[in-house]
Amino acid sequence: MRMSLISKWFRMFSVAALFCCQSVQLQAQSQGTEAVESDAIEAASPDFLQPELLKPEQNRSDKRPNILLILADDMGYTDIAPYGSEVSTPNLQTLAERGVRFTNYHTAANCAPARAMLLTGVSNHLAGVPNIPEMLAPEQKEQDNYQGVLGDNVVTVATLLEDAGYHTYMAGKWHLGMTPDKLPSHRGFERTVAMADSGADHWEQRPYIPLYDKANWFADGEEHTLPEDFYSSTYLVDKTIEFIGSNLGDEQSAENKPFFAYLPFMAVHIPVQAPQEYIDRYMGTYDAGWDALREQRAISASEIGIIPPDTAMNRMPDTEDWNELSDERRLFEAKRMAVYAAMIEAMDAELGRLFDFLKQRGEFDNTIIIFTSDNGSEASGPRDGTSFAASFGPSRLGYELDYDTLGLKGSYNSINPYFASASVSPLAYFKFYAGEGGMRVPLIMAGMDGVQEGSLNQSFTWATDITPTILSLAGVEKPGLRYAGRPVEAMTGKDLTPLLIGEIDRIRAKHETVGYELTGHAALFQGDYKIVANQAPLGDGEWRLFNIVSDPGETRDLRSTMPRQFQKMLSEYEQFKLDNRVASLPQGYTQVKQLFSNVLQKSASNFIILILTLMVLMPFYVAWRMR
Amino acid sequence: MLNKIITTLVVLAAILFIVNGLRWLVDPAGIVDMFGLELASGVGLSSQVGDMSAFFLTLGICMLMGVVAAEHLWFYPAMLLLGLTTVGRILAWLVHDAALAAHLIAPEVIITLILWIASRRLRDN
Repeated sequence: MRMSLISKWFRMFSVAALFCCQSVQLQAQSQGTEAVESDAIEAASPDFLQPELLKPEQNRSDKRPNILLILADDMGYTDIAPYGSEVSTPNLQTLAERGVRFTNYHTAANCAPARAMLLTGVSNHLAGVPNIPEMLAPEQKEQDNYQGVLGDNVVTVATLLEDAGYHTYMAGKWHLGMTPDKLPSHRGFERTVAMADSGADHWEQRPYIPLYDKANWFADGEEHTLPEDFYSSTYLVDKTIEFIGSNLGDEQSAENKPFFAYLPFMAVHIPVQAPQEYIDRYMGTYDAGWDALREQRAISASEIGIIPPDTAMNRMPDTEDWNELSDERRLFEAKRMAVYAAMIEAMDAELGRLFDFLKQRGEFDNTIIIFTSDNGSEASGPRDGTSFAASFGPSRLGYELDYDTLGLKGSYNSINPYFASASVSPLAYFKFYAGEGGMRVPLIMAGMDGVQEGSLNQSFTWATDITPTILSLAGVEKPGLRYAGRPVEAMTGKDLTPLLIGEIDRIRAKHETVGYELTGHAALFQGDYKIVANQAPLGDGEWRLFNIVSDPGETRDLRSTMPRQFQKMLSEYEQFKLDNRVASLPQGYTQVKQLFSNVLQKSASNFIILILTLMVLMPFYVAWRMR
Repeated sequence: MLNKIITTLVVLAAILFIVNGLRWLVDPAGIVDMFGLELASGVGLSSQVGDMSAFFLTLGICMLMGVVAAEHLWFYPAMLLLGLTTVGRILAWLVHDAALAAHLIAPEVIITLILWIASRRLRDN
């Protein structure tokens, strides 16, 4: 009886969604937004009207599925075992074996823009987050969609699920605004513990860059003080378990709601820190250096089918020769990477604890688990970890960089660009850049019936697809152009469920495009092709054309062999800029320079206040002395 | 000895207020949270920066004038500003459903008392 009602309801919803999509299509045509055409095509597909294909879990258990969205921070493409890593991640491996690994999933090349797309299904430029606020220039901030915080013109997946009767929880890094109206507790999350900055220390409540006076943690919208025995991954899983557990087991409850838990880990963002027991396991693992690791990971990824066999690789410019380094330097760099690996394994172990909890409470089989990373690995650590320059900044913040305590409390560790390049092997570039290394990351979805367990999916997928997919799996309608009495941006992401069940092998039609821009680093995807322009210091700003399916390493520029395709994609990119209100960069802008400028500006304010205070006090002091 | 302690307390509090006033002038976004406010724009921002900086600078300068000039009358405007702020906060709580900002009221009351003692002990000389 109940199944019948659900089925009827779903059919009604599907018809409504069809009309909705058609109206979105009309609107998109008039506004020139990212192609919505295939949304309507998708919606019109007869399969869309067959809920049993889309909600296998729901049908099996007569209960809406729980959804657990896990996000790693700055974790590269081959940093976990199911994508070819040597790092031990048994829980993610098991997850991959139960579900689907997407090998061609892309996201923004830095944090907040990726999170904005992930949580809203809307282009980050339209969602108000074209870049992290820490890197926005004052001229850019004059444009309303360049505030670096999640706009009120978008609805989060949490809001939609909460309104549809889900419990919604979040524990982890937010970074989409820290004024009260921007915190997750005001963006659809019922219970939250959120770190609002771009990053923070993993062992204590401490800022990691001088841009912040303190590490800004909030719990349920109020300022939050961390416990003494804090370690980020452990604490965030503790809170997630606490939140989920607080509403489980009440079978007598009339509600008995499913949950949506968002677990954005702070790992492996700088400062790279990990418990000693995990660090010990990787001592010696990286003694052969970054080039060897890059080769080894490419081979592993190829063997498991993540990348095509014999994928060619770019070696990043100015990469140092490992064998030319001093013994002391090699030892230090290998340990930096060992701590990084340890941090990944620690995160995986905590995930195992969460999965065990769900199993004990009988919820694991009814939980759809999505694991991904916000962007590729972070390469802004100093090239030479033993240099004076490497320790100067951290020491000003009271951190150490001693070999023995590297990665422990009070230590400021990072990996350098060479190991970062290895952690995205065999891809080119890394975080901030529009190369595949910055944008292509792991995506695992597991917990649905009807999928081929352990399968790989090579379709191009995009960060905006996550929210529509979650909504579809939860049986919740996508909002149209208005929600809760106000206009909102239409979701342009795609529902990936037809891909998950193997019904289709490509979610976007070959002519459809997805554009991307971050501080001048730009890309446009169309079918198997991508045009990309990377800016200085590693890029030259020139557009290039690659086939990222056969050449994910971006080694064979097809500009001259496919000039028409190249020109067509350049034109599409210009349209993307118009449609998404992409602002021009201020003269001489670079992201690093702007970050330093913003830090200095903040320090300058304190300096000016000090000088003015002294100027005000001086006459009083003189008068006092003259009395 | 007591006079020295009171003088030190008054000077420290005065410097704190002056720094607050200057922060409102130089970096209002950096201090606005401390008062449970959000940074306004347009005329609102003008009022926030103008009124708040004037309040704190007047407060601090009056306190320093009282100490340096050794004239107790200078403490009265400072006492009035702080005392009336406290009254206003309590009325806001009672009448307008504002939060009871105990963490702000407590220092205001304590400093007002210190100023009252200062005005009695650091008499004109």
